[in-house]
Amino acid sequence: MRSVHALGVAALVMQALPDPTFAGEPKSGGIFRIYHRDSPGSASIHEGATYSINIPFMPVFNNLVIFDQHIAQNSQDTIRPELAESWVWSGDGKTLTFKLRKDVKWHDGKPFTSADVKCTFDMVMGKSQQKFRQNPRKSWYDEVNEVTVNGDYEASFNLKRPQPALLSLLASGYTPVYPCHVSPGDMRTKPVGTGPFKFVEFKANESIKLTKNPDYWKKGLPYLDGIEFTIITNRSTAILGFVSGKFDMTFPTEVSIPLLKDVKSQAPNAVCVVEPNNVSTNIIVNSSNPPFDNVDVRRAMAMALDRKAFVQIQFEGQADIGGTMLPAPAGLWAMPKEMLEQIPGYGPNVEKNREDARKLMQKAGYGPDKKLAIKVSTRNIPVYRDPAIILIDQLKSIYIDAELDVVDTAQWFPKVARKDYSLGLNLTGNAVDDPDQSFYENYSCGSERNYTGYCNKEIEKLFDEQSMEKDVNKRKKLVWEIDKKLQEDVARPIIFHSRTGTCWQPYVKNVTIMSNSSYNGYRYEDVWMDK
Amino acid sequence: MTAVNYDSELRRAGAHATHGWRRLAFLAQRYVLGTFGLFIMILFVWTALSADLIARYDPLTVDSAHRLASPSWAHWLGTDSFGRDVWSRIIHGARISLAVGIGSTALGCTIGVFVGLISGYLSGWVDLVFQRITDILQSLPLLVLALVMTAALGPSLPNVIVAIAIPLIPTVSRVIRANTLALREQPFVEAAKSIGMSETRIAIRHVLPNTLAPLIVLATAQLGSTILTEASLSFLGLGIPEPYPSWGRMLSESAAEYVRTAPWLVIFPGVAISLAVFGTNLFGDALRDILDPRQRG
Amino acid sequence: MFAYIVRRLALMLVTLFGISVIIFVLLRVVPGNIVDILFDAAGFVDPADKANLEKELGLSQPIVVQYFTWISGLLRGDLGYSYVSEKPALQEILPRIPITAKLAGLALLFSASIGIPLGVISAVHQGTRLDYTLRVVSLSGLSLPSFWLGLLILMASVSMFGMMPIFNPNPKTWTEAFAIYAVPAMAVGFRSAALTMRITRSSMLEILRQDYIRTARAKGASENSVNYHHALKNAVLPVITVIGIEAAFLIGGLIVTETVFNIPGIARFLVEALRWRDYPIVQNLVMFIACVVVFTNFVVDLLYAAIDPRIRFGD
Repeated sequence: MRSVHALGVAALVMQALPDPTFAGEPKSGGIFRIYHRDSPGSASIHEGATYSINIPFMPVFNNLVIFDQHIAQNSQDTIRPELAESWVWSGDGKTLTFKLRKDVKWHDGKPFTSADVKCTFDMVMGKSQQKFRQNPRKSWYDEVNEVTVNGDYEASFNLKRPQPALLSLLASGYTPVYPCHVSPGDMRTKPVGTGPFKFVEFKANESIKLTKNPDYWKKGLPYLDGIEFTIITNRSTAILGFVSGKFDMTFPTEVSIPLLKDVKSQAPNAVCVVEPNNVSTNIIVNSSNPPFDNVDVRRAMAMALDRKAFVQIQFEGQADIGGTMLPAPAGLWAMPKEMLEQIPGYGPNVEKNREDARKLMQKAGYGPDKKLAIKVSTRNIPVYRDPAIILIDQLKSIYIDAELDVVDTAQWFPKVARKDYSLGLNLTGNAVDDPDQSFYENYSCGSERNYTGYCNKEIEKLFDEQSMEKDVNKRKKLVWEIDKKLQEDVARPIIFHSRTGTCWQPYVKNVTIMSNSSYNGYRYEDVWMDK
Repeated sequence: MTAVNYDSELRRAGAHATHGWRRLAFLAQRYVLGTFGLFIMILFVWTALSADLIARYDPLTVDSAHRLASPSWAHWLGTDSFGRDVWSRIIHGARISLAVGIGSTALGCTIGVFVGLISGYLSGWVDLVFQRITDILQSLPLLVLALVMTAALGPSLPNVIVAIAIPLIPTVSRVIRANTLALREQPFVEAAKSIGMSETRIAIRHVLPNTLAPLIVLATAQLGSTILTEASLSFLGLGIPEPYPSWGRMLSESAAEYVRTAPWLVIFPGVAISLAVFGTNLFGDALRDILDPRQRG
Repeated sequence: MFAYIVRRLALMLVTLFGISVIIFVLLRVVPGNIVDILFDAAGFVDPADKANLEKELGLSQPIVVQYFTWISGLLRGDLGYSYVSEKPALQEILPRIPITAKLAGLALLFSASIGIPLGVISAVHQGTRLDYTLRVVSLSGLSLPSFWLGLLILMASVSMFGMMPIFNPNPKTWTEAFAIYAVPAMAVGFRSAALTMRITRSSMLEILRQDYIRTARAKGASENSVNYHHALKNAVLPVITVIGIEAAFLIGGLIVTETVFNIPGIARFLVEALRWRDYPIVQNLVMFIACVVVFTNFVVDLLYAAIDPRIRFGD
């Protein structure tokens, strides 16, 4: 039964692979209706770190460069020009220069120039007068000295050291170019961009409306007259709405595997895709306080995990097991399976792993009569809570009596920052499938999002080494080594990498769901509807 | 309000025997629905108390091999997305509902009685202040107040009990105050005063026992609504946190995802809530008829 | 009468003042503020940025100052700005009021048109099987959680009609408007109808027992005339009270129902704003709801006093 079902979904994926040659002549017109999972805090992509903002507002903007919107797997090779006509690296690999388009206008009619590029990145790097309320991706540009302009149509990024991956970061949906002449406050409430759609209105908890930009610099695009997001927080209500035809597409990457079955049974014609979204579910371990300051207890905890059971329960088998980097085939940087299985706790024999784990626990002084009582802290959101419930159940097998400690959103990060937890269940989303993004952000000494404060100077050196490596194959080998070491150190045990579904009505054409990021694929300039 | 005398009430209703079992049997016969309600309530309390015996599985144990199983002999009411037995969870959920129901009703009533007694007995500015506070609390819908309270206190069982109890206080204190005011005029209170009994003693010895009947009626009526409020709070994500099997929580978020693929996850907890509340309502109604004849139908 | 009204109005002001203090203090007790929530999306909280933002939003001022800023603004009609959308709070709240008002009005209408007749019938046929059945039905109505009822209705509407009402601010057809407003209104109104029925029944019974009804009977008025002419007319009084009670009762039901049916009214907005710690929205919304409740009760009391000569205004 299970395998039949898996086959069924595999077939779905095949069916949904976009193939522009067979899509027929695109038709213009129509309002594209999507439901939105929640009300985003603002409309400013640079000030957010959630695709609740990316998805509705990416169509308003352009980047310098962008990942090809119709190739599911983002990589250096799929980066395409957008506001930049072309780019070139200097010989020493320390200067990246973009030649900009001259025919681009902001939605308010002002011309786009290199000054806008400088403004945007100065602001992101925290160097300008005007400040963002919050600036979550400042660290992406740690290696950038400054952005310089040469005339109105050329801009250069000057680096402290070579960082080939910078281009990938610039190609993410998280990296739109903002206009100089609009304040950050206005960008939060009524954003102005150069993109295929113009912002119309954003009613909190109700809807977000975009309309076609008739003066879009790509002639003939977009096809759609507009995009309308209706905010529906209740998942089952939202799915019912899609099934009954009120929406042309579900919120991208928001349909869980169990719900997908429901959608397929109710709307057999709907096209559904299941892809990894490059979000890992992991455990943050407080190693500065007892009991997890004891490396044996940490190891035992990591070895007690039955990752397959997590995947079975939450994803009916459809999720991936790996290290920090997204597993293959969707992920570009995952270590080979044989290497992965050498890591303690990743071996296929769960019972044996747990036997070893129990020995470690006994060594640390625990046993059937002396159980370790701890709390597993997590947020009051199902995608966090559900794996925590499974984790607690599994920890019973190694004499750990854990209790769930559900934390309100407003208190979660302050609590984590205070180190007021012993185990925390956490989700880490990666916008770009590149080690530079995930290693520095989550494991480098002193990074804000390195919650556990893991700090290993040797690994830190390897981070830089892989970052500067131009040869992709050599870089991969380095990355595997680093990833393996991180897992062995129990820096932040990765439980699984989730997969999610997206469904649309059969008449919707040219939507591609990215397979190694859920933040980059929503420009929607050539999406059209055959009806 | 009047002091209760249900012997005379029984006689009026035509009962000849006013003692022991026969009296009970008579009441049961006259108030069939109330008896049925009482039966549901006893069942509910018994389930909560002996949950460990009745439940066939541990309500928290995850079983990846049997997730979302439909009702069967092995799992009477099916299993949820974690493979946890729904029957066992509902049984254990009775504990939570009972704890919240009784806990918050008792807390709300105790404070309410205290406030009502003081307010009615002392009069003057104390009464005035208490009255205004009561007014204020009553001008906010119960759920709104409970929502803000749980948000302020954080989600946990004791906090939810407090959050639901506070909006109950004004309702109770109003009734008790009115009752106390009426009782103060009664001859036996006057008499007690004339023989030099202290005010506090009068309040405790004479006034309090005589407000018991309306209090019981009120408390039973509130029991159902507290259970419903907890369910609503949990449904909105602010009530009892996972993994405790609260009925409202079972209905919310994750269950809502399986509305059609696993309808038992939506139906059974809803039935449990409705049944428990229905039972207390039936019983409360009958109790009101018996103890508070002025309102009888 | 005039003195009574003035006194009542004064008390209303005291009550509203008390509510403003309570809600203000409660919100500040709630752990975490808007800044924590905003930064949550970023995955970490930068203390310097947090301090800046708190200063910008006025959250770093002493709590008493914050309170007076709010109240003095409120008195001038300035409700401040939503922390989240950065739009004037008034502009966020006002458009949502008619949506909830329509729902509440329909629910009230529904509950009155079902609850009152059934209550009367039940009372007139007191003790019969019909009365029993109706009482059980009304009690079960009070026992169903309204969000559960809403979920069941949604499930049923999809499986029967293959569609469901999704809120649309400008319904194009009558049927659409009906589906959008009437269905959720029924889900809320069902409970209210049960409550209305119970109160109608018991007040009808009380009146039927009264002297003038006995007199009417003794004078040979027909049973129907007694029941529907004399008694019902007087039973209207308590029914007015029901409306007062239900003003507060309905809001509770609306909060969950607006969530289930995804209706962007003020009740759901309150829950969302609370989640975001959007103080200006929560404070002003709660004040608005309290005003509605307090004012409804005031009007009900006045009506009551005007209709029923036994009520003295001195009370």
